[in-house]
Amino acid sequence: MLNYIVKRLLALVPILLGLSLIVFLIMALIPGDPALAILGSYATPDSLASLRVELGLDRSLPMQYFIWLGNIVHGDFGRSYSLNRPVLDEIVERFGATLILSATAFILCTVWGVLAGIASAARQHTWADRIVTISVLIGISVPSFWLGLLLILLFAVHLQWLPVSGMYEVYGGGGFFDLLRHLILPAVTLSVVATGVIARLTRASMLEVLRQDYIRTARAKGVGEGSVIFRHAFKIALVNVVPVLGVQAGFVLGGAVYIETVFQWPGIGQMLVSAISTRDVLLIQGGVLVVAASYVFFNLLADVIQHVVDPRVGI
Amino acid sequence: MTAQFNRGAVSMHGRAWAANRVRLVSSNPLSTFGAIVLTLIAVIALIAPILPLLPPDATDPTNRLIRPFIGNHFLGTDQLGRDILARLVWGTRLSLAVGLSATCVSAIIGSTIGISAGYFGGLVDSLLMRAIDMLMAFPYVLLALTIVAALGPGLFNALIAVAIVNVPFFARNVRGAALGIAHREFIDAARLSGKGNFSILISEVFPNVLPIVVVTMSTTIGWMILETAGLSFLGLGSQPPQADLGSMLGEGRKLLLNAPYSSAIPGAIVFLLVMAVNLLGDGIRDALDPRLHSGAASQPAPVTSIARRQSHDNADRHQGILEVSGLSTEFRGAHEAYKAVNSVSFAIRKGECLGLVGESGSGKSVTALSLLALVQSPPGIITDGAVWFRGEDLLSKNASALRFIRGGRVSYIFQDPQSTLHPLFTIGEQVAEAIRVHQRIARGAAWKKAVQLLDTVRIPNARHRARSYPHELSGGMRQRVGIAMALANGPEVLIADEPTTALDVTVQAQVLRLLDELRRQNDTAVLFITHDFGVASEICDRIAVMYAGQIVELGTTEDVLEHPAHPYTRRLIDCVPALGSGRRVFETIRGMAPATNRLPSGCAFADRCDFATAECAAEPIALLEIDGDHVARCLHPLGVAS
Amino acid sequence: MSVAMSGLAPQGRTAMRRIMLRLATALFAVGAISNGGSVFAGTPPKVLIVGQIAEPKSLDPAAVTAVNDFRILMNLYDGLVRYKDGALEVEPALAKSWKISSDGLAYTFALRPGVKFHDGSDFAADTVKFNFDRMLDEKSPYHDTGPFPLSFFFSAIKEVKVIDSLTVEFDLKEPYAPFLSNLAYPTGLIVSPEAIKKFGKDIGRHPSGTGPFVFKEWESNSKVVLERNPTYWDGAPKLEAVVFRPITDANTRVAEMLSGGIDLMVEVPPDALAQFKDGAQYQIYQQSGPHVWFLILNAKEPPFNDKRMRQAVNYAVNKKAIAENILQGTAQVAAGPTPPAFAWAYDDTLQPYPYDPTKAKELIKASGYDGKELTFYVTEGGSGMLDPVPMGTAIQADLAAVGLKVKIETYEWNTFLGKVNPGLEGKANLAEMAWMTNDPDTLPYLALRTAAWPDKQGFNSGYYSNPDVDKLLEEARKSTDQAERATLYKKMQEIVHDDAPWLFVANWKQNAIATVAVKNFKLQPSFFLLLHDVTKG
Repeated sequence: MLNYIVKRLLALVPILLGLSLIVFLIMALIPGDPALAILGSYATPDSLASLRVELGLDRSLPMQYFIWLGNIVHGDFGRSYSLNRPVLDEIVERFGATLILSATAFILCTVWGVLAGIASAARQHTWADRIVTISVLIGISVPSFWLGLLLILLFAVHLQWLPVSGMYEVYGGGGFFDLLRHLILPAVTLSVVATGVIARLTRASMLEVLRQDYIRTARAKGVGEGSVIFRHAFKIALVNVVPVLGVQAGFVLGGAVYIETVFQWPGIGQMLVSAISTRDVLLIQGGVLVVAASYVFFNLLADVIQHVVDPRVGI
Repeated sequence: MTAQFNRGAVSMHGRAWAANRVRLVSSNPLSTFGAIVLTLIAVIALIAPILPLLPPDATDPTNRLIRPFIGNHFLGTDQLGRDILARLVWGTRLSLAVGLSATCVSAIIGSTIGISAGYFGGLVDSLLMRAIDMLMAFPYVLLALTIVAALGPGLFNALIAVAIVNVPFFARNVRGAALGIAHREFIDAARLSGKGNFSILISEVFPNVLPIVVVTMSTTIGWMILETAGLSFLGLGSQPPQADLGSMLGEGRKLLLNAPYSSAIPGAIVFLLVMAVNLLGDGIRDALDPRLHSGAASQPAPVTSIARRQSHDNADRHQGILEVSGLSTEFRGAHEAYKAVNSVSFAIRKGECLGLVGESGSGKSVTALSLLALVQSPPGIITDGAVWFRGEDLLSKNASALRFIRGGRVSYIFQDPQSTLHPLFTIGEQVAEAIRVHQRIARGAAWKKAVQLLDTVRIPNARHRARSYPHELSGGMRQRVGIAMALANGPEVLIADEPTTALDVTVQAQVLRLLDELRRQNDTAVLFITHDFGVASEICDRIAVMYAGQIVELGTTEDVLEHPAHPYTRRLIDCVPALGSGRRVFETIRGMAPATNRLPSGCAFADRCDFATAECAAEPIALLEIDGDHVARCLHPLGVAS
Repeated sequence: MSVAMSGLAPQGRTAMRRIMLRLATALFAVGAISNGGSVFAGTPPKVLIVGQIAEPKSLDPAAVTAVNDFRILMNLYDGLVRYKDGALEVEPALAKSWKISSDGLAYTFALRPGVKFHDGSDFAADTVKFNFDRMLDEKSPYHDTGPFPLSFFFSAIKEVKVIDSLTVEFDLKEPYAPFLSNLAYPTGLIVSPEAIKKFGKDIGRHPSGTGPFVFKEWESNSKVVLERNPTYWDGAPKLEAVVFRPITDANTRVAEMLSGGIDLMVEVPPDALAQFKDGAQYQIYQQSGPHVWFLILNAKEPPFNDKRMRQAVNYAVNKKAIAENILQGTAQVAAGPTPPAFAWAYDDTLQPYPYDPTKAKELIKASGYDGKELTFYVTEGGSGMLDPVPMGTAIQADLAAVGLKVKIETYEWNTFLGKVNPGLEGKANLAEMAWMTNDPDTLPYLALRTAAWPDKQGFNSGYYSNPDVDKLLEEARKSTDQAERATLYKKMQEIVHDDAPWLFVANWKQNAIATVAVKNFKLQPSFFLLLHDVTKG
């Protein structure tokens, strides 16, 4: 197993390299550059030119890329043009916030999705099934950015039960409960779509499994329905659901962008969006690499979990 | 099991197939609803140019933000005074068009990649899939944003961005399907016949992956509409004054607090649209799932549905420990009923072994499952009969009473233990579970007992082996585990469904010997199901022959084997090749067994029988006595002058 | 159909129930948490929480250009001079007094004694020289802490001389009237040299000035916290602390205001103003500022090389509708290139072009317009661009109504600048633009002179050229007599109004909203947010 993990982690390297190349290329295609973003309305051709020299933007693109690559190897992610601070510092601060948000959303959507899927499969064609099916459908059909704003209106402005935005109270805040209170709305909004996907998959998986012969054997042994569903069927259904969880983790991570904007969550998604508008290549590189690495890591985790749960899956 | 009613079902091609699918979709109420809503929206969008709408781009700042349902702007005006209803209709038109186009573009690119990867394999596959992985690892919103930033805003560019972002789904799914097909025989055949790769891809591979493509399209079209709306929401999609649903949402975003309807209305339409697409997509997916057309889409209930035509009471005539009288079981498909078991009756005495012999599809397994209402339901229904165990009708018991009996007093041994043992529990756990369900003992004690049982069924090194998983054992050992589970609680009746069919001949002999021993030791009654007369002759005291869901002959083993009365029995015996008898022509029975949904009224064997007469096919025939306990369902039994 | 046995037998149902119960308990706990703790709908007393429109770029005053950053900076630092309360004229700040030589080439400042930077070092003449050398002298060892986009405001400086510890002299290359005004601008704020030496490039995140508030912390995209400076030379502020919260989404900002999460909010979206009309809870502030929103017209190529066409579009657009309806009264119609906020230099006899589509059509016909489609660059955002997309759309519609076919190309701000600043030749006929400046010289000098064409490092992207205007601007720049300058600028405005190199649209009336607890707050015509005197509660 260790071999497998090491191999997969090593495979991460070419993926990240490839990604960094893609980012560099795309940024080269986008009109405008960091110098323009810094100088803004006051950018004259002269000042632009001298700034570009200062920032090292006058070198050829392949040259810039290789310099960047060389620095990365030493752990130096460079200095952000727009923020004027080391990229690594910025990313570390932001990524932690995104991770908290995504992890919470992910746990929510997994737990809810799986439970809903099981309930819906077990009580097929009853009202419970229909309610779950329809809620799931609503969940995957509604635009998440819109939903977020609606939730803010309801819970934060009208009812004033929860804060509108941010991660902590700005003055005298901090602490676990403060975080929790601020986490609820964004995490729930973020999890809505993924919950739907997981619920549907769990349901389909459960239905599939419940048709199998070993379920019939269990019943023939006289095993109770509860045990049949949760012990026998669910364990195997889970095996089919786990790999998708990995993909969903990635989506939750990516979907955080809209949510972070609406809820002013100081995460990496928002950082990346504004980095695009300021053409901050180094920031985008660092951010994309971190997010992509997480995505691959989550998938690896899913694979490992799957192997642990299902010894038949050889790795 | 449910292969029952595939046999003989008319296979459909082309138009009939498609028509059948459409019917399936339309019989699903949710997907019909989706289809109706979608059609409605699409039609309105299509006829937009001829509808009496106000011009969608006419600005009128003095009349901005009028609420809906007042005055002549039915849905109010937006922040520039433009009519919302008009913009909604035209915007939906645009969003639909873009969503569809993006899906098609994505499908074409993704499928090409997927087919190439799956078909050519090797290096091509590796490279393509690495590229796809990379694309997936890129956070999708970001990818869309950077593409649009590079190409410039505009609905067309947003379309490209969204299409590219969704390519991986198609690529992966299609690759999976193509991989499955690439090494199939008909592809090899096509290659051998000289067809070039390209033409094989087009003519053989593509039509077979088409269902996957359609299914994936139906899944992703909803997402693409949402994602395009999202990009427009961020201002990167359609440009003013052009409206699509996303940009309407985006413009309304700033007015969320004081004029919520300007974003609520387009938001609701997006939602409705995507929901309709998803519902319809679900329907299409289910329709393309081959299992649905057999009506078996739902999960089986723990107990078979029972809808008996007549009531049965605990009356006289109880011979033996297990008596079955008039048992009938059907499978109700979408439009047909497949009568798998037709009024079967037999009895087993304590300690006796009754063999139930017949070809595949004769209904013997279904009969066995019906005894404890284990038939998969839906689509199975027990329509008649009673199963008396110790004087009580099992079929009138409720679920928990049945559960008490299952695995306790009456237990099963299934064939094909590869699929009947739970793959994720060790064999020790599974046997222990069988014990704990019926006996109140601690886990540790149950485990010890399980190991003992495994020992009894001759699993070598039982204590160690108990911790193995089913896939780590050979077929013979798995079968023994099945036997161990069945014996765990000292049952009075054992139902063994073809326990040796999946085994090698030598292993078969061992298992049979084991079964026989155990049965004699514990005085257990056994219903032994098999298609093999040879096996039946070794272990059974009596034999019942089944054909087309009915018992056609019943008697002691000796009687049936040496003096078969029913012509079918005779032919069946003849089919078994005898070792050492030299070269001879293999006997077969001409024709085929009747389809269970089109059973003839008279003798089911008549059209294949050499001795059939007109009266054979006329009316149902009862079991007629041949000699004492030996009965047969035949008007012209063999060896009896008629 | 049949006696279908229930799908989930008792054990299954109990298991379900147990799970549901646990989840319900969790939700309850959440409810308990959310109402426990501090009183939610309110902010801590004596701490002012300000909702900003964006995350600050840097807290180094020499390095930033956006009003968003200025709002924080003006509370952390002081300059040699500052704007008078409610006006755009200067008064002493860190400099007690000053003398201007008769030829206008030497400015000598007498500095205030006993002022210390937040890090404890002393404010003196050498610190002033240090700051300007850093910005202007390429050989200065700290020049690499830049870039300094607005350093051209001080390009007229030849040398900064330290006369004694409390006297500093600026020698200019040529007379430059806006000099004092530029010193009052954030680019002229004085930063502690000790801090610059200590933090180098990171000075932007570790500010140290002489202002009424001291920097406490900066949490990226969450908050910038300033605490009161008890030894401030102009009297310690009453507020204990100020927290600047960047909230980029306008709806979220309004929602925070409505729910009591912030005390003060600037740049309220025009349509959201209606939410706060309730006087019992909120106070609305509005202040006209030195801002102009206009369309650059490509005067080099047809059709706008013809003055009649340029005037025609000025008549064709219903500017009042834009200002009053689209912008909900948060702007007033602009008459010419100089905003009325520069009260002393503004020609108030000048009337904006009235809305007259008939006249427009006449002029168009007279100019012989050939019906070609016009390209219009619109941006999605950008500092001071107000509501660029709806405004652009409305203009497009107005022009269509007089027979001009206009195609809009929208670009994200950065890309937009990249396309507009180098000049519109061969690309577009019209482009949106907005400027916020501090002196009536700045905008015309940078954007209307012949010597300011893009190929000469200027921002005259429309290639307007009028030698009379050039002369007036040069003269006004050199004169140090305000009355004389005023006359020159008024003349310039008349000419430019008539030449119509731009489609003049609006002057922004910046707004802010505060809860009633906030007192002593005023919006300044400079658009700076001055919090020194503000109290809460």
